[in-house]
Amino acid sequence: MSADTPKKEALFSAKNRRLLFNPLNKENPITVQVLGICSALAVTVKLEPAVVMAISVTLVTAFSNLSISLLRNTIPPRIRIIVQLVVIAMLVILVDEVLKAFYYDVSKQLSVFVGLIITNCIIMGRLEAFAMGNKPWPSFLDGIGNGVGYGWILIVVGLFREFFGSGTIWNFPVMEKLGVYNFGYKDNGLMILPPMALILVGVIIWIQRARNRELIEENK
Amino acid sequence: MYSNAYIFRYASIMVILVAAILTSVALVLKPYQEHNRRVEKISDILSAAGLEADASNAVEVYEQSIIEELAIDLSGEVVAIYKDGGLAQGEVRAFDIDVKVVMDEIAKGGKPLLPLFHMRAADNSEVFVIPVRGKGLWGPIWGNIALAPDYTTVIGVSFDHKGETPGLGAETNTTEFESQFLGKKILDESGNFTSIKVVKGGVANSSDVPLQHGVDAISGGTITSNGLSAMVEDCLKNYVPFIQKRKAL
Amino acid sequence: MQELVNIFVKSIFIENMIFAYFLGMCSYLAVSKTVKTSMGLGIAVIFVLGITVPIDFLINKYLLSEGALAWISPSWAELDLSFLSFIMFIAVIASMVQLVEMVVEKFSPALYNSLGIFLPLIAVNCAILGGSLFMQEREYETLAEATVFGLGSGVGWLLAIVAIAAIREKIRYSQIPAPLRGLGITFIITGLMGIAFMAFMGIEL
Repeated sequence: MSADTPKKEALFSAKNRRLLFNPLNKENPITVQVLGICSALAVTVKLEPAVVMAISVTLVTAFSNLSISLLRNTIPPRIRIIVQLVVIAMLVILVDEVLKAFYYDVSKQLSVFVGLIITNCIIMGRLEAFAMGNKPWPSFLDGIGNGVGYGWILIVVGLFREFFGSGTIWNFPVMEKLGVYNFGYKDNGLMILPPMALILVGVIIWIQRARNRELIEENK
Repeated sequence: MYSNAYIFRYASIMVILVAAILTSVALVLKPYQEHNRRVEKISDILSAAGLEADASNAVEVYEQSIIEELAIDLSGEVVAIYKDGGLAQGEVRAFDIDVKVVMDEIAKGGKPLLPLFHMRAADNSEVFVIPVRGKGLWGPIWGNIALAPDYTTVIGVSFDHKGETPGLGAETNTTEFESQFLGKKILDESGNFTSIKVVKGGVANSSDVPLQHGVDAISGGTITSNGLSAMVEDCLKNYVPFIQKRKAL
Repeated sequence: MQELVNIFVKSIFIENMIFAYFLGMCSYLAVSKTVKTSMGLGIAVIFVLGITVPIDFLINKYLLSEGALAWISPSWAELDLSFLSFIMFIAVIASMVQLVEMVVEKFSPALYNSLGIFLPLIAVNCAILGGSLFMQEREYETLAEATVFGLGSGVGWLLAIVAIAAIREKIRYSQIPAPLRGLGITFIITGLMGIAFMAFMGIEL
């Protein structure tokens, strides 16, 4: 594959760095591209499943991007979508099997949401928009970038929900150690309930757009 | 353009390749996954018996505290005994009996063997752990009930479930709910089977369920609570012949 | 019968695909700008869920789950193919969507014009795969239960997307802080609607 270009591009050229870092903020898959929210928010009650989910999605995005990019010149366009789905589904099954074997507790908490990575629009979206037309290495970076861009939102939401909802961080009882319960503090049960995840993402979008004015939507 | 033959070949090779990769990974990881499932089952049994263990030492604690695993038939006869790491009688190891299969067969009118775990609790007293399984609002619920050596008094329970509504039905596996079962009786004074009911509105206010045979329901989780009552009754009643026989000794 | 009504009502209101599990959020956010289009997409979702969940139920029961192959030969009773379920489910969904699209196009061009454009979108709608995965996870026992669950989830999804579309049509006239406009406020409204839907949790049947 490297024979494609006569003068070899540096592994982390400016262009490749952009591929890696843009999705973290300006082209964030969740807050800007509005992709892949489906399988995301239900796993953010605690930090641990959120982190595991973030890592799983990053791996699946990166490697499906890589494999589709390697195959891109051989895939018949008519069965394109199904080939992509098969590659994604295979990677997701691998992730699921590994979780079941080595992180059984987390895999029980994530339940069906591991399977739902398959329909995570980020992955299909990146395959269609990027990997089908680019070389393997940039595609791989693009996959990592988008996976991490998706992951950090999950982790932030998970952190807030666990801290305020259960008073712990990564199952470590922070609130109890600080002794705030003695002053009559109570965990906010609302944080554990699903709707709070949406509201938190709304707030993240608000902050991000307030700092990055060009992302603001026109009032249509 | 790509010919149909090419597309067909491409798809077939892809499917075979993917299937081969997945099957080999599944085969490699299967022992680990089965181990996890065993550990989970052991932890549930230990938790009902009041023994503390985490995933790393559950197997060890179980092996130390198990006295014997009994497989009994519906008429109350002991068919198989497994103890000290080997079968002492019969051919079935009670631990390998799947309660789901047992309940399905009973529903169909079959005569399966029932598992019973005779264990030594932390304070050296003996307990009998009975696994139970039933239907909640959304899907299966299951658990274990530990009885004192009088075969009547409940000294511990553990329940678990998949996908119950968080905050409501899901409360069945909180310690608060489970601790209500302690000291409840499954036989009445004259020795007849009277299951433990989950009572809506509180057992203290109920006119037809005596205090020692009821626990308070989780508000809002009605169907899960009903499912739980039914599960406890349906599973325990199969053990009644065995219990009566043992008590008569 | 009571069981079925139960599952239906619960899957619409209490375990709503959007408000309780956030499934199908991508199309929910992208297509909910007007009531008319969201109605079309909602109906397509009900349609596809109502077909794929029962089919996946049969596949799961007679092909994939542990001991499911015993009907072919008793010696196969030990086989457990459940690790293939993701790939089978998504393949069924993708091919069903294609099939439905072709059938609708052939027999009802009018329906195709209103529904057709949404069908390809649906193959990657998480609510559809989610329906099948929940069906597997909750171990429904009969085909009827699975079908009712599929239809109920679809109706719940339709309800949610039509409601948010109606709100978004009105909200255009409101003064919202600029950075919140569009996506941000939609998230927050959905969250508030989710809280409102939690009131159904105490429902007794």
